[in-house]
Amino acid sequence: MLVSINWIKQYVDLPENITKQELGEKFTLATCEVEKVEAINQYFDLVKIVKVTGVEPHPSADKLRLATVDLGNGESATIVCGAPNVRPGILVPYAPVWAVLPGDFAIEPRKIRGVESCGMLCGETELAIGDDDYGLKEFPEDAPVGMPLSKYLGIETDIIFDIDNKSITHRPDLWGHYGMAREFATVFKKELKDPFSAEWKSAIESKIVKGKSQVERVIEDGTACLAYCSAVVKNVKVGQSPDWLKNRLSSAGLRSINNIVDISNFVMLELGMPNHIFDLSEIKGNKIVIRQAGEDKEFVTLDEAVRNLEPTDSMVCDAERPLAIAGIMGGLNSGVSDSTTELFIETANWVDAMIRKTSTRIGLRTDSSLRFEKHLDSQQCKLAMYRIIDLICQICPDAVVEGDIEFGGVDSKPYSPVMITTSAKTITDTLGIFVDEAEIVDILQRLAFLVEKKGDKLSITVPSFRATKDVSCEADIIEEIGRIIGFDNITPVAPESSLTTVRLSPAKQKERRIKDFLVYSYKALEIMTYPMVGEALLKKAQWPELNEELVLVNSISRDADRMRPSLIPGVLKACAENVKNYSDFRFFEFGRSYHAGGEFAVEKPVLLVGAFSKKATPFMELQDKIEELCSVLRLRPRFEQKSLEQIVPSSWVGIHPFENVGVSAMGKPFAQIFTVHPSLMSEFKMKGFLSLAVVDLSNVMDVELSSNVKYLPLPKFPSSTFDCTVVVPSGEPVARLVEVVSKVKIKEIASVKIADIFEPEDSSKKYVTVRTVFQDRAATLTREFLENSYNQVVKSLEKAGFGLKVD
Amino acid sequence: MVEIVQKIKDEFELAFSQVKDKASLMNLKSEYVGKSGKIGLILKSLKDADVETKQQVGKDSNLLKGEVEQMITEKIKSFELEEINKNLEKKKIDISLRSSLQDKGLSSAGFHPVSAIQREIEDIFVSMGFDILDGPHIEDDYHNFEALNIPANHPARDMQDTFWFKDMKHLLRTHTSSIQVRGMESKQPPFKFVGPGKVFRCEATDASHEMVFHQLEGMMVGENISVANLIYFMKTLLSEIFKKETNVRLRPGFFPFVEPGFELDIECLICGGKGCSVCKQSGWVELLPCGMVHPNVLKYGNIDTSKYNGFAFGLGLDRLVMMRYGIDDIRNLHSGDLRFVSQFAEF
Repeated sequence: MLVSINWIKQYVDLPENITKQELGEKFTLATCEVEKVEAINQYFDLVKIVKVTGVEPHPSADKLRLATVDLGNGESATIVCGAPNVRPGILVPYAPVWAVLPGDFAIEPRKIRGVESCGMLCGETELAIGDDDYGLKEFPEDAPVGMPLSKYLGIETDIIFDIDNKSITHRPDLWGHYGMAREFATVFKKELKDPFSAEWKSAIESKIVKGKSQVERVIEDGTACLAYCSAVVKNVKVGQSPDWLKNRLSSAGLRSINNIVDISNFVMLELGMPNHIFDLSEIKGNKIVIRQAGEDKEFVTLDEAVRNLEPTDSMVCDAERPLAIAGIMGGLNSGVSDSTTELFIETANWVDAMIRKTSTRIGLRTDSSLRFEKHLDSQQCKLAMYRIIDLICQICPDAVVEGDIEFGGVDSKPYSPVMITTSAKTITDTLGIFVDEAEIVDILQRLAFLVEKKGDKLSITVPSFRATKDVSCEADIIEEIGRIIGFDNITPVAPESSLTTVRLSPAKQKERRIKDFLVYSYKALEIMTYPMVGEALLKKAQWPELNEELVLVNSISRDADRMRPSLIPGVLKACAENVKNYSDFRFFEFGRSYHAGGEFAVEKPVLLVGAFSKKATPFMELQDKIEELCSVLRLRPRFEQKSLEQIVPSSWVGIHPFENVGVSAMGKPFAQIFTVHPSLMSEFKMKGFLSLAVVDLSNVMDVELSSNVKYLPLPKFPSSTFDCTVVVPSGEPVARLVEVVSKVKIKEIASVKIADIFEPEDSSKKYVTVRTVFQDRAATLTREFLENSYNQVVKSLEKAGFGLKVD
Repeated sequence: MVEIVQKIKDEFELAFSQVKDKASLMNLKSEYVGKSGKIGLILKSLKDADVETKQQVGKDSNLLKGEVEQMITEKIKSFELEEINKNLEKKKIDISLRSSLQDKGLSSAGFHPVSAIQREIEDIFVSMGFDILDGPHIEDDYHNFEALNIPANHPARDMQDTFWFKDMKHLLRTHTSSIQVRGMESKQPPFKFVGPGKVFRCEATDASHEMVFHQLEGMMVGENISVANLIYFMKTLLSEIFKKETNVRLRPGFFPFVEPGFELDIECLICGGKGCSVCKQSGWVELLPCGMVHPNVLKYGNIDTSKYNGFAFGLGLDRLVMMRYGIDDIRNLHSGDLRFVSQFAEF
């Protein structure tokens, strides 16, 4: 919203010794955000009428001349000029150095073809005062030399505040200049003039020709109408608005249409109350009905656009047809035209949500609907009506108000005030700065609150225009005081609070451990991909769950129209991009996957770790890292060559037939580690090997990280190592051997590892050396015991089908 | 020294100085100090000499023997060292060929910049006694709106801002403020916590707008909490984040869940408050909304408003990251593009 400071000055005397920037900043800190402070027409104060006293040729340019001008203050200047009509004796506009003309054209001191020019002589277009671009603007001979154009042409210079509309959504009272003026008056502790006094009102009432209105009014149930005020004015003459009215509107960003429409807009901008003026002769049957659109499907608004109606939209109609979409825009059929002489004036109030709903649906947000959306005060309808009549009578002196001003609707009864009780102490305590009670009372009274002292309490009556959606409780009053004294004046204070220790939650600790491990140990990069995916990507990844239950009704794009059932499809897409840039990389994402279930949806914390290499499968290194990660998380994993349905659906075709292992921890599925199937890789146009580990953290995150470290005194007796080499079919996983030996019931077995594997080429067998370490913490192992133990190890292997290698 | 010993010594020293390798040195050793070496033979050659001479020669030749043995041992050591060094040279590696010079694909590692800054801010708050909480991304109407004093017809619930699911009861949380509601449900006052996480807005994306971004919510509830306390926390936090004394100002701002509500601006870090293009010449940059928790919100959280009050704030993490690093396109954050994240690598 644009606020004209000249307009504000009609109601309040602003301090003189303050720059426009300071004014804007103070207002921003106290009331609402001033996005831009703009001085308009300022150059008219700088540009003066001067007299050309002499013209000389330019020494080095044929088309240019040097004009000497009389500045009117006894001084003269020489200006380089190229206009064809420059000649001695004429009076022309002169822009001095540093004046800024329209189009941000700044006059700078400069030499033109070697001659210094002190400013510029101007034409009409350069000053935006006309369309003639032939040469210099010439003033009549009697024009006063030295007079600024602002004075000569009667052009008002002004300062315009551009207010961020979002910062006044909760302040319906600030959508007009008078409401803004009340804020200025409070912020700068100045008096707010009251142009709308009781005397003023009775003067207007005296102009009304009493009697029942010729227009019958019906307000039907189910409409947005809260209050409806109307009047009939006859004998008006539609024509141009006076300059002051045009100036006001243009400074607030509106175009002048004609005097009646301009008055309507002026009152909206002054009091914040949108209103509508109909051509009375277009109201059929002398009847206004506020009803739902019902059967009417279409309506042509003033802007000549056809609007589709819903049956529940509120319409202002006559006996036969709709005339306006309530609170949004009038119709082409009943607007004020040049031939209009009789008016039906409406100042109404409408239910905010209903106006917003209709306006959003039809995509028409007007100055009117923008205000009604904020929940205006019905009490202002009558004031706005008085003001409209006041102005019509001023501008069209022959106008007659025929019949009573009628006011009705559910909200037309007198205001029953909102009362709030607070105290200076509560305000001081909450703000954390001492505020004197007298000052509190002063601020509130300036803001039109009524304040009554009751002991140390203050009983406050909220004015109707602050009570609709804005001020309703003590905290609101505290805010009023805080913003006016300036939150800036509050000194920061550390709160008094008892000492409490804080420890990261188990989930947070784990998250950090996981990320640290993957970065510092696996040298991976953390990435983020969108939690939403599209059907096309899921299909491309051949993902079996389409998550139809978690589709968004208003997605921005079809590529992100539902929650991801897994991180895999998004990561495949990201990888396909990354392989274009890198031959090898490791990455991880710590995110969530979303599934229908529970009350509505279940969100699983998921870790996805991936490694890509153009040359060789990174599966083994990834598997090793996940095993280490289990230790970092104090988990004892179990690795099995199978798919865990809960982690990756078994019907998914993206898994490599052999490089695929399921990991369980705490008896529950924990992770699936696999290489992406080459056929899916080619679907994503990736050449190389991509291994992924999907880790479902939902069962482990909230478990307290416990340390399983148990100290043992260092062994005093030597251990004994036994290697035996056995023959194993080449397809057999060697983990099987470790498993077999680990199960041998000898408590002195300290460790079982694979020491060596020899796989002859073209053989169906491999030779595997199993190393078993025996240790007795209490004694030296005897030869007898060892021989017996070695035998048991060999026997267990033989029993499992792995005979000793015979040289 | 007796003449004969001196003679053998001279003879040895001459031979020793000509030794070139270990083998000839060993020969020299046996020639002089071996079982029947020259030095041992000296005494034997003096069978007929008087006792005094024998004693003198014996003493001198023993001395010489010691000297010779030491010289030889030292020489052996130096030959051995030479040999080891020669061997080392043979196995010499090119120590200039560091991994970072080789093309092994992408070898840098690090955290996503948003998660890094999130941790940094979490740590600041933990050091001030705040807990860290989180909540679901898929929220219900109650936790995202109603309990935050955003009534049924409030514009914030409009389709333009909120991603809704088909049942029109569930949505993607539009702010981390829903964590406030969850926090109040699970805690007894006094308490203070922050809630970082992803939030979602139904907004067309471009270089500065995203449909998924990150916020960090903060809430402190206790007895006699004041606006002055809120400013204190914000100033402390921001000075920590920006690693220098940061000036802040509060101006009125409207958010349904706080009253009084503020927009907190920080003095522009680019121009130091003088005015530049970043701060639109104002010297201030809007950074975060905050305020005193609205009594209705506390009531929804079953908190006794006659005893407790508090403040809350929300911080946009993506903005902060973008400001810190001068990132020009917010869409990079969720792109999964390693060219982007690798710029913030730890190593």
